[in-house]
Amino acid sequence: MKKIIIILLLAVIGYFLADIFFEIPFGEDSMVVSKEYLDKSPNDLHVANTVTSIVVNFRGFDTLGEVTVLFLASTAIGSILFRRRKVHTKLNPQRNAPHASRIVQISAKILFPLIVLLGAYVFIHGHLTPGGGFQGGVIIATGYLLLLVTYRKFSVSHSSLTWIEAIAGVTFAGIGVLGLILGKDFLENFLPVGTINNLFSGGIIGIIYVAVGFKVASELTGILDTMLSIKVDSEENEQN
Amino acid sequence: MVVANPILYVALPLLVAFLLPLFGKIHKELIRVVPGLLFMFLIFNTVVLFSEVTSTGKPIITQIAGWAPPIGINLVFSAFSGFIAGIISIMGLLVWVYSYKFKKVEFDNSLKYFVLIMLVTAGSIGVVLTGDIFNLFVFLEIVALSSYPLVAFYRGRDGAEASFKYLIVGAFASIAILLGIVLIYSQLGTLNMAEISLRIGEMPEKIKITAFILLFLGFGIEAEMFPLNGWAPDAYSQAPGPVGAVFASMTAKAGIYTIIRLVFTLFDIDAGYQLLLGMGIITLVVSEGIALRQEKLKRMLAFSSLGQMGLLMIAFGINTKAAVVAGMFILFNHAVIKSLLFFSGSYLVYNSENKNIKDLFGFGKKLPLTAFLFGLGAFAIVGLPPLSGFWAKLSLLMASADSNLIALIALILIVSVVEIVYYFRVVNGLYFKKYTGEFEPHKPSWNASLVMLILAAVIVTVGLYPDLIYNYFVNAADALMDKANYIQNVLPSNFVGLN
Amino acid sequence: MSEELMQQILSISFYGASLALILIGVYGVLTKKNLIKILLSLTIVDSGVNLLFVSLGYIMNGTAPIFSPAIMDGKIEVLKTAPMVDPVPQALVLTAIVIGLGVTAVGLALVIRLFRHHNTTNIDEIRNLKW
Repeated sequence: MKKIIIILLLAVIGYFLADIFFEIPFGEDSMVVSKEYLDKSPNDLHVANTVTSIVVNFRGFDTLGEVTVLFLASTAIGSILFRRRKVHTKLNPQRNAPHASRIVQISAKILFPLIVLLGAYVFIHGHLTPGGGFQGGVIIATGYLLLLVTYRKFSVSHSSLTWIEAIAGVTFAGIGVLGLILGKDFLENFLPVGTINNLFSGGIIGIIYVAVGFKVASELTGILDTMLSIKVDSEENEQN
Repeated sequence: MVVANPILYVALPLLVAFLLPLFGKIHKELIRVVPGLLFMFLIFNTVVLFSEVTSTGKPIITQIAGWAPPIGINLVFSAFSGFIAGIISIMGLLVWVYSYKFKKVEFDNSLKYFVLIMLVTAGSIGVVLTGDIFNLFVFLEIVALSSYPLVAFYRGRDGAEASFKYLIVGAFASIAILLGIVLIYSQLGTLNMAEISLRIGEMPEKIKITAFILLFLGFGIEAEMFPLNGWAPDAYSQAPGPVGAVFASMTAKAGIYTIIRLVFTLFDIDAGYQLLLGMGIITLVVSEGIALRQEKLKRMLAFSSLGQMGLLMIAFGINTKAAVVAGMFILFNHAVIKSLLFFSGSYLVYNSENKNIKDLFGFGKKLPLTAFLFGLGAFAIVGLPPLSGFWAKLSLLMASADSNLIALIALILIVSVVEIVYYFRVVNGLYFKKYTGEFEPHKPSWNASLVMLILAAVIVTVGLYPDLIYNYFVNAADALMDKANYIQNVLPSNFVGLN
Repeated sequence: MSEELMQQILSISFYGASLALILIGVYGVLTKKNLIKILLSLTIVDSGVNLLFVSLGYIMNGTAPIFSPAIMDGKIEVLKTAPMVDPVPQALVLTAIVIGLGVTAVGLALVIRLFRHHNTTNIDEIRNLKW
């Protein structure tokens, strides 16, 4: 009975939304601000990939927020799943499960460096080709996921992850503040823009995207590791 | 380079949050000291910027990445947004002082706690200052994502359940907001709030109203509007004590700000004001009614907080200058008084298992200072003279009288009686009921007492001399209601895309 | 096939798909009892909105907004051969996806903690608080 009511409700919502969606003409050029981006990206910033120049420069503030969201997610997961060191006794049973077969283990060993290399390529060339810091970082994190599921006892050093995270995050925010110190706007480009389609072009855009790549990779790897290394422990009580 | 800049409100907390784990490796004490220094700097920033805005009478527009709006994102520090940003940064400092000794023993926990508190402050200020609607969405998500773990911070309570509930509702809010933004972008091709406001008339009526409803729904969840506020009482009551104050003074302020901007600046729909007024009345009546029946102190405070949000929506929904000034007054009061109530209330029920109101009977003699400050806060929020709450309610009543809303006056007075009943039940219990002996009173630490005394001093001072601060409310109301001025300040030149 | 017919087919398929995703997701959130399924449904709604946003930025016969410069007389020139699709929705969807990922990850962590505490992922059995 409940389901029928919900379906009826959804049908009404769906009808109204469809009515609105089909009102918007598909595939027509209705760009206003985007025209400026398509013009300024190759001519002023010398960045071939317009999406990258929007993400990192024109709307770079959003991306700083986005990186913060990821940072928050990893902090939040750490805080939600946090266990006192002395209390937890056993590792997650997941970690004691038998290793994957030999074929999988060896293929993982061969694939892992290649995956990391691909990820690095994607974020280093973020301003030239499709891709960028987020995509590259996620690719690298999948490499670590492969290791985590293949070798059950494999774990990532959280201390080094913390360093990478912190340095990458500070690079991003620090470049922004450096712009302020140099008398420009926050996140404004202060480096020479170079020649379009060269690796060294676009000024600070490339540097920021590499930092984003490192940050995303280390944070996602940290999240995966935290979720897999849930410790089993006794109940504990805390009061305010 | 200027020392004070609106961008620092966001950039510095993020920088410090990224660096804090490294500071912790240098010396453990730094993770508690550095956030405090940051909050002090933010207040300095507020003072410098605010005096500039007051002396020039013009908002400060900050471009980001060197692109003038609407190409780049901009921040708008006006008498209105700057005032709310100032309240949030001051409350950030007070929350920091209050929780300075909090979790002293646990390094990892206090590191995360302070990171989350800094980011929730930065996010709320970002929501208030930004001039770009998608950027506002990003900052709202920062606020939300730092609130979820704060609600679930304690393991012994049902925090995870409350947090999950909040997360589901919050995710729906963000989807509704995103869909609204998509509809606006598809019609206007811009995300800058000033330009949207300028060209909102170009949108076809049907799409405009749908976008408005979606955004109103999404922002309403953040602003704790009835019936979308089911998550709020649980979140308030399951969170650690100071976090209740964070919600009342920061995230709720950010939420109400978004809905005010939506109705006042972004859209030109007149029915929006009536909608805000109606939702405010419903929120007020329902929340205060439920608050009357609450047995648990923090839940009662949470519902009372929702009622105050309803009062705020009513004030802004009336949409006359006097009412908006009253709204600013209520907003200020709600931040100050509710924080005092949460701060002192969480010490009153410190050792109690269920946080029931009857657990704190007789605490007036056991914890004289805390109980007195709680009583002061209760009297202030109810609106007894000569405390600051009285002037706020009086100005709202005068404003509704000016607009000939006689029924509204009666309603607000009836609700005030309800408030008096449930707050006096607690105060009566504190002073005139016998101590059960079941729970040991817990003495507040000196830093917590200091914070409560500061807040109480503010309440009494503003109550005795409301003129000290009244002018700021008037300036803020002027800045909010002058839409043309806002657009002109953000988009001074005739940008090509405007034709 | 004529241009207009193509446009019509594309519009129905893209708008229809995003609408279907949104509705399926909302249905899942409202009816499913398993916490993980509720989170999954939320991500489905999210994908629906993202798909809608990207398809709104499409321009008929447009290419990806990435310039491929050519060398002409020893000077690098930016060639613009075909119309480019709107880059802004793509950039914003990237942001929205990352935000959705963060929310989902935090939600899953909460589910793990709820499971540890109550030994179930059924929403009906986890009701210490009123819903």
